[in-house]
Amino acid sequence: MTDLHAPGFPRQQVAERARHGTAMAFPDADGYGTTMFGQQPTEPDAPLDAIDRTRLVPPVFVPRRLERLIDLGREPVVGDAELATTIGGFNSPLPVYVSAFGSTRVASGDLGQAVARQAGRLGIPMIIGENIVPVAGYGRMAQTAPSSLLQRITEYAAAVPEGQGGVVVQQSTEDADAEVWNLVYSDPAVQPLLESGRLAFELKVGQGAKPGLGGMTLVPREKATALSAQYDLMDVFGADSDAVLRCSSPGTFTDEILRHQIRLMRNNYPRARVWVKLPPARDVGEAAAVAWAAGADAVGVDGAEGGTGWAPRAFLGHVGLPLAECLDRVDPQDHCLLVTGRIWEGARATKCLALGARAVGLGRAALAAVDEDPHSGLVNLVECLALEMRMLLSSLGKYEISELSREDLWSEERHKR
Amino acid sequence: MSQETGRVQLPTPRAHLTSDRTRATLAVQSKFLTGAREFLVGEGFQELLPPTIGPVTDPGARGAKQVDIDYYGHRYKLMTSGILYKQASLLSFDKIFHVAPNVRLEPLETAVTHRHLVEFHQLDVEIGEGSREDALDIAERLTKYVVEYVLVHAQTELAVLGRDLEAFKQILAGPYGRRSHADVVADLQGRGHAQEAGAEVDWEGEEIISRAAAHPFFITDYPKGSRGFYDKESTTEPGVLRNFDLIFPGGFGEMMSGSERESDYRNLVMRIRETGENPAKYDWYLTLAREGLPSSAGFGLGVERFTRFLCGLDAAWQASGYPKLPGDPRP
Repeated sequence: MTDLHAPGFPRQQVAERARHGTAMAFPDADGYGTTMFGQQPTEPDAPLDAIDRTRLVPPVFVPRRLERLIDLGREPVVGDAELATTIGGFNSPLPVYVSAFGSTRVASGDLGQAVARQAGRLGIPMIIGENIVPVAGYGRMAQTAPSSLLQRITEYAAAVPEGQGGVVVQQSTEDADAEVWNLVYSDPAVQPLLESGRLAFELKVGQGAKPGLGGMTLVPREKATALSAQYDLMDVFGADSDAVLRCSSPGTFTDEILRHQIRLMRNNYPRARVWVKLPPARDVGEAAAVAWAAGADAVGVDGAEGGTGWAPRAFLGHVGLPLAECLDRVDPQDHCLLVTGRIWEGARATKCLALGARAVGLGRAALAAVDEDPHSGLVNLVECLALEMRMLLSSLGKYEISELSREDLWSEERHKR
Repeated sequence: MSQETGRVQLPTPRAHLTSDRTRATLAVQSKFLTGAREFLVGEGFQELLPPTIGPVTDPGARGAKQVDIDYYGHRYKLMTSGILYKQASLLSFDKIFHVAPNVRLEPLETAVTHRHLVEFHQLDVEIGEGSREDALDIAERLTKYVVEYVLVHAQTELAVLGRDLEAFKQILAGPYGRRSHADVVADLQGRGHAQEAGAEVDWEGEEIISRAAAHPFFITDYPKGSRGFYDKESTTEPGVLRNFDLIFPGGFGEMMSGSERESDYRNLVMRIRETGENPAKYDWYLTLAREGLPSSAGFGLGVERFTRFLCGLDAAWQASGYPKLPGDPRP
């Protein structure tokens, strides 16, 4: 196991799922028939947000189950609940994708490749984060560098089933100096994905952990000089420390700037899908509407709970909208809304979908899962999550994942409003 | 040895360089440049030698990768086009031109368009204090002058190439047409081609309208978001650029792109942000703009593309001694 830490994140439960898969959707089988199970006590270190406090509420009357019964000629079962969907123009067997990790050290090396391999096996879309090129170099020049962009794309493409999934390459304002998208779009290694319509570019407008700030990572002091032309470096830990804080610019956006950046992406990369990632900002609804109107295939919103990157303490607890509020402020209509933020199991994922999201992203959970089991940790985690989603969806009397809606939810806070 | 590039089969370097057709083509190209220089110098333009590397280059090329070089530890670029330098050079002379080499690692899909080369040349023209009308006027008179010049001075070569001279009459017959981008989009959509309204005319669409045309015409008024930040936005029609392309008939397609230029510092910074870039990258250029750059208009005429037209060639690569098609490693 590496030294990956994720404070406030149910690391242990994710690790158990990575190890044991669908078995972890249930209490220990040994206790079956002998133990009384009631409401589980809350995890002591897991803060609850409005989504956690919301409950999924199945109905008695289930007209859609009747429709499914008529289709099948028998009573529908859990396995009949269909999770397949399209995510930002890609076919996916379930409403889950792997979100970006940024250039945090935990995403470099073998973990990034293990995630790519397993996301490919699952056939779910995968976003490759910003800063991979400017910091780690790009594949064609450095194919041997661990977890290079090229290696991750190649691993994913080798594993992914035909007609499913897709790779999304993120670029932020500062990555534009390295022209990440142009590099990728003209690279022969990417052509199979491009030709099968399974390449997207994601414009990173902001991120969950520190909305309003750019990316922040710790870099070794000896690498600081090389990066000083490109990034703001802050020596916050004192001259004795080996670590220097590297800060990216968040980029400057107005509605006009966002609109035209998206149009330019569509103009310049006509065969790639366009995704946009927004921070949990107070105008997230307006920004999402601008992005969709300009032709974005997907808009992703990071709740303030998300993020694998290094963030100042003042931001971790105090800045940005919770995911539930983001979902209240964004009206996707028929567009594809993606959300991330402390998602690792089926209940939170299902609630997010009922609140309007098309799919949910696994960030920290994906990393923690492959850290626990580099061969199939992510596959196991996702299979467990998928089983839970099927059970929840069918319990609601619905058998298509797109049928989830706010009627399936109850929360005390909303009820009181 | 012959090499495969997508569906395009190129001859060996020896076969290409010793072919009578290549020889005739390169001779026509030389005469085209002689005629162009004669015309432009006669109009008061100053020829300058273009820079080939710099800290930034034109980011406006669709999906094309820039070539980075390690410049003593700094990331420098080979020129994809010298547009920013053309604007700067107006600080020295009022009217300038370059015959400029450019390198763009174009997307692999462009290997089969007959029009794209990784390494190519532009006849780059810039008119200080000029308007789009001035640029259109020079563009039309320049191309007609060259056609007449080649007709007179390259008869032998045109005979070797079997060039149908009727095509030249189409060029000289009358004034070039004008069509707005919106009109071309509607035309293409009417012909069943899925042209996106907010985007550059795609490669296939360009060929369709070129084949349908009887005479050259300019496409004007591209939407913002389809071109580089240096094309000036209309002050009366927000979202519309004061730019143009020149399309030749017969499937030869786009010969040149041009525009009135943005030179106002504040507008440039905003437009750079709209193209997703960090203005810090353009420090030297923005410093000049902040101190004051002349307003201007200009264009770049594709040398190999125009040679292709003059010689009636199947593809632009035939107009280069050392053709490089996207994805194909050749000398």
